[in-house]
Amino acid sequence: MSCALDERDFRRCCRLLLRRSKQLRDGWSWEPVQGSEEGYLRKTAVRSVFLDPEGSGSDSEPRASGPSGPGQQEEEEEAADTDRRVIEDEDEDEDEGVCGVSAGSSQVLQYEYHILHSCSYAAPVLYFRAFTQGGSVRISAKKRQEAPKILPADEGRSLSLEAMWSSVHPNYRLRLQSSPLNTISLQEHPLLGQPFFMLHPCRTEEVMRPVLQAAHEQHRPVNYVLSWLSAVGPVVGLDVPLKYSTLLSPAASPGSSSDTD
Amino acid sequence: MADDKDVLRDVWFGRIPSCFTLNQDEVTEREAEPYYLLLPRVSYLTLVTDKVKKHFHKAMRAEDVEEMWFEYEGTPLKWHNPIGVLFDLHASSSVLPWSITVHFKNFPDRDLLHCPSSSVIEAHFMSGIKEADALKHKSHVVNDMQKKDHKQLWMGLQNDKFDQFWAINRKLMEYSSEDGGFRYIPFRIYQTTSDRPFIQKLFRPTSPEGSAHTLGDLLKEMCPTALPPDGRQISDHNLSEKSRRSKRTTCGRCRLAMGGANRQKTMQVSRSATRW
Repeated sequence: MSCALDERDFRRCCRLLLRRSKQLRDGWSWEPVQGSEEGYLRKTAVRSVFLDPEGSGSDSEPRASGPSGPGQQEEEEEAADTDRRVIEDEDEDEDEGVCGVSAGSSQVLQYEYHILHSCSYAAPVLYFRAFTQGGSVRISAKKRQEAPKILPADEGRSLSLEAMWSSVHPNYRLRLQSSPLNTISLQEHPLLGQPFFMLHPCRTEEVMRPVLQAAHEQHRPVNYVLSWLSAVGPVVGLDVPLKYSTLLSPAASPGSSSDTD
Repeated sequence: MADDKDVLRDVWFGRIPSCFTLNQDEVTEREAEPYYLLLPRVSYLTLVTDKVKKHFHKAMRAEDVEEMWFEYEGTPLKWHNPIGVLFDLHASSSVLPWSITVHFKNFPDRDLLHCPSSSVIEAHFMSGIKEADALKHKSHVVNDMQKKDHKQLWMGLQNDKFDQFWAINRKLMEYSSEDGGFRYIPFRIYQTTSDRPFIQKLFRPTSPEGSAHTLGDLLKEMCPTALPPDGRQISDHNLSEKSRRSKRTTCGRCRLAMGGANRQKTMQVSRSATRW
């Protein structure tokens, strides 16, 4: 069965999600692209985040091992090394104005989430960015032997990629650690043209196939966007309250012809 | 595809003579002379400007240097777009060499993506390759490749090795009419007149009746305002002179002419009347 979500079904799922969001006051809005039916879902949220660049987190998660075969292990380690170098190379002069706060501190951030449709992958894609509300979020990891320092920044400073990676909850770190650039990366927003973080969509089918399969077998309707969001959202701090699903809201599954608007 | 090899080579080896000048407000210890470079159209600014960085670093103190970024006539240049696209979009009607201003301070992070290392460029490049294959072959070809093949594509681009690149790329460009050719044609249309960075939509290589779509068909559907009303020919600045002759050919062959764009084809469509 197809896991593809076309543009029309995407919009239908969004409309249903939006309706439910209004009932729950969950803050989603639809932002149209001028002069077309295209658009995206948008939501902002304030979040207190624990920035933990060392990746140890509060539990003892082993680093980048994961379910890989013997050949893959080496590749993953190699990729991890490459990506560690990415972090080390950045910001060679970030020692200026170091405020001496040790790594692993809490920050209050203003997040903005966008859900767009990718026609290439026939799937929804999550874009997001985060700003400080005063205080600092750039992390310098140049001197690896020292604990990375959180540096002061101007108010409203946007979160760096490294800081974003470090804010991901340890439970979701596994994939991120083995190949961070293939999971969350900085991209140009396809409609706004500004830098946003993006959660890569090429694995969406892996996530959605079991969900769609089960729903199909049990003759249950599925809101593709809602189910997808509930799976990937928490990786970047976006929780989807259970109440979205407790009402028997009519939904759009791929290929369904029902439209209850 | 063998007869298009000339076109592929022309596209790959396309160069733009450029002159890099340090921004006047940068703090220098010595006079910083402009630096001249032939930029490959198919590559990325941050991948080919290490020498520019080293050259200007020599004239500055380490503490006055942050991430390098480029600007043309006040517009920050997006390194993640291929150099040819940047030139065609911003500077194709100006005199050569292309004068680019180099900055080492005040990185405009509301406009530009950071580029701390070549891994970031590689990830971006590969991401484009994968997306293009998602459109052409439902990702089957790129996913069936080994990691070393992906690496070879990247190394070919990074080291300007046409044969190394195309040894792998030809698999991604396989267009067999019996198999239905490409599912969709990967393309992006860049315009300066829009807030939107580019137009990218689904577009089939053939019409429902089975006739091959042309470049004109694509533009008519995706960007009708860009077409001249009196039917004059479209000039595509990413094509070399030789391949310009083939612009009327079908989109299936067009993607061969567009060569290096095994990632998205990039066509700059200008609104300027003089262009036509």
